[in-house]
Amino acid sequence: MDTLLSPQLLIAALVLAAIYALIALGLNLIYGTMRLLNVAHGEIMMLAGYVSYWAFVRLGIGPLVSMIAAMLIAAILGALCYLTIFRAVVRNRQLAARLESNSLLIFFGISIIVQNILSIAFSADPRSYSYLDAIIPVFGARVELNRLVVLAIGALATAACVIFFRYSRLGLAIRALIQQRDAASLIGIDAEKINLLVFSLGFAMAGLAGSLIGMTSAISPFGGFPYTISAFIVIILGGLGNLAGGLLGAAVLAFVEIYGVAATSSAYRSILVYGLFIVILLIRPQGLLGRRAA
Amino acid sequence: MSKKTLIETILAVVGVVFLAFAPWFVGAYWLGVLLQLMSWIALTQSWVAFSGLSGYVSLAQAVFYGLGAYVMAVLWQQAPIWQVLLLAGVAATILAVVIGYPALRVRGPYFVILTLGLSEFVKYIVVAIEAATESSGRLLLGTPDPEILYYLLFGLAVIASLLTFWLSRSRWGVGLRAIREDETAAATLGVPVAFLKTGAFALSAFIPGVVGAIWVMRTTYFEPLELFSPALSFSVVTIAIVGGSDQAPGPILGATFIVILSELLWARVPQLYLILLGLLLISFVLFLPRGIYGQISALQSGKRS
Amino acid sequence: MTLLQVKGVSRRFGGVRALNDISFDMQAGEIVGLMGANGAGKTTLFSLIAGNVAPSAGEIWFDNNRIDGLAPHQVNRLGIARTFQIVRPFANMTVLENIAVGALYGRGRTMSQHRARERCMQILEEVGLADRSDMLASALTLAGRKRLEVARALATEPRLLLLDEVLAGLNATEARDALDLLRRLRASRSLSIVVIEHVMKALMQLSERIIVLHDGQKVMEGVPAEVANDPRVIKAYLGEKRGAEHP
Repeated sequence: MDTLLSPQLLIAALVLAAIYALIALGLNLIYGTMRLLNVAHGEIMMLAGYVSYWAFVRLGIGPLVSMIAAMLIAAILGALCYLTIFRAVVRNRQLAARLESNSLLIFFGISIIVQNILSIAFSADPRSYSYLDAIIPVFGARVELNRLVVLAIGALATAACVIFFRYSRLGLAIRALIQQRDAASLIGIDAEKINLLVFSLGFAMAGLAGSLIGMTSAISPFGGFPYTISAFIVIILGGLGNLAGGLLGAAVLAFVEIYGVAATSSAYRSILVYGLFIVILLIRPQGLLGRRAA
Repeated sequence: MSKKTLIETILAVVGVVFLAFAPWFVGAYWLGVLLQLMSWIALTQSWVAFSGLSGYVSLAQAVFYGLGAYVMAVLWQQAPIWQVLLLAGVAATILAVVIGYPALRVRGPYFVILTLGLSEFVKYIVVAIEAATESSGRLLLGTPDPEILYYLLFGLAVIASLLTFWLSRSRWGVGLRAIREDETAAATLGVPVAFLKTGAFALSAFIPGVVGAIWVMRTTYFEPLELFSPALSFSVVTIAIVGGSDQAPGPILGATFIVILSELLWARVPQLYLILLGLLLISFVLFLPRGIYGQISALQSGKRS
Repeated sequence: MTLLQVKGVSRRFGGVRALNDISFDMQAGEIVGLMGANGAGKTTLFSLIAGNVAPSAGEIWFDNNRIDGLAPHQVNRLGIARTFQIVRPFANMTVLENIAVGALYGRGRTMSQHRARERCMQILEEVGLADRSDMLASALTLAGRKRLEVARALATEPRLLLLDEVLAGLNATEARDALDLLRRLRASRSLSIVVIEHVMKALMQLSERIIVLHDGQKVMEGVPAEVANDPRVIKAYLGEKRGAEHP
């Protein structure tokens, strides 16, 4: 049991929390502003992971540089998705009436397409590469450098987002849109432009997360699904659309996962995670920080 | 009888007769294809009976299917097959009631994700149980001939289709559709929403349970990660969207379309087939949400709008 | 006979007290008006009576049955029907199909679809929608949808009908027609009605008795003439200063 208190586990939980926080932010942005359920989130991450993989293995460019490219590519993909598909969905009254279900299905279609394009391009085998895997002693734990880098970048990116949303005008506009879509557009906030920005930003964050993950774990075309599920658990834990809640949810899930597995065994990871998910949905569907809809 | 109904009835009768005698004149390969077709029809009709009519998109088909398969795998050769099949269906129905009672109190996106979460949860419990009992996959020896399995699945497909056909025309169908349109208003008009939702959900689980039990006999191997795969749930939804998710002919059309597509592409370029499936799903949701049959039906009934 | 009894009913939403200790009785056959500024709690009161929401405190009795806390369909079974302030038609169903839902399920009945259809056509004649029976509900004008909402509620054959701002959004002609319709409907059935209305003239004309709510409290109740001249009502609606100027 003293392993439960080891700094090793703590660092692992923090790294996972940072990844989850990034994923949650991206997902929450899109859901919060437009009520769209992006179940392709994990696939965007894998795509970004492959971009960095390819850049490293073929071009020798380190992921710390290629993650910029990965984020850009993801952002462009997001913009394209919005402009070609979702702008029309949100506008069309029939489709908007069942927005969540319809968006779920459309994003699911997108996820299938991305999975299989990646499979054609890179084959279905998992890929990984070694980068910065020197072991660094930290507070008595022995951690690979790349995990520390992931933690650092993840934390930085999350902090940057938090600052952006709290203090910038654009961030304020986005938060206004999340809180009250109709009222926000009435006071002059250009919902369309913000939607486009939010899509790109949300995808970009998934891209960053994917690029970071590729540094420490193997990626595969069909490996995105568990991350998508985790992302949903995180944002539901924190309250759908609640940006701060997503951060809390990320921490909760990461810690439950790491410590739960350590206390039982890795076979129980999924049971723990899904069990938590079900309990939250049934007992407090608005999440830990969400407000109950009147 | 209107012309449309006459045509549909004739097609149905011809189809049933053809399928009933199919094992006589198709080879083993095509029998396998028809087995798939019958399964998809049975699974999707059951889905439509609940999700199509009520609008509550359920991703739980995989768990009912998988549970049925598990029942068959565990009880293999310990009881007559008929009993086990029945038990598989009953087990799935019980699970549906257990899941459904709490799950159906949440709406919209929560429900969809919850059914997915519950499916995965049960899947991993089964995986854990199997790991604990140290069985790495169960082998079923001495399974019935494909022809027998075919007739079982064919029968199920017919029953499932009739069930959806009847339900969609019944008073309960009206109630479910009212729930789909506006649940609050429906309740205010006297529709017992909780009862209808749970009942339809439970009903929609029985046949997938039996299908799973039959299919595991076909593959002769029980592997939980495959049999409980969410891909099955998503495929069912795709078939329903493409074919039509409001009335019985929809899933038949959808399943036929998908199986044909699969036959043309899967062997050669499986990824391309899946990409096409994804594109189809997106296109139909955007442009043809009523599905092929729904669109035909709407054009024909000439409802003024 | 006393049909409806609301006893000390309150409802909170989080920190907001939407209704505070509301009590009143209603006799069978009455038309009672419910009056109050926006946010006074009128629609909340309807939701409590109809079972869409449960009260935080208090009791509601209908025909000697306690109904607070029952599910909406159970309340309907006992004989209460309501319309919504923002109409909620079943958009993708035809007018006839909309009403059929009420006919098939209202009061917990199980009647055949054939008989239900006949009943519906009768109601459609009465409300003047018979020529649009095959039209999708989403294609109706607002006036048509309001009629549909009322017709659908009537199809459940209620004893108490809760009408929530049926005149809102209608022009003068449409409103006059709607009022005539309500009077006709009331005459042809033994129906008790509670009506929420902002159009003061209509409310005064229609109601035999009026209950005034303000900020979740019951301010007074009485016949229209009393209510119109009551200083508390005038103050609540027109403000302090004006109240001092008017007798």
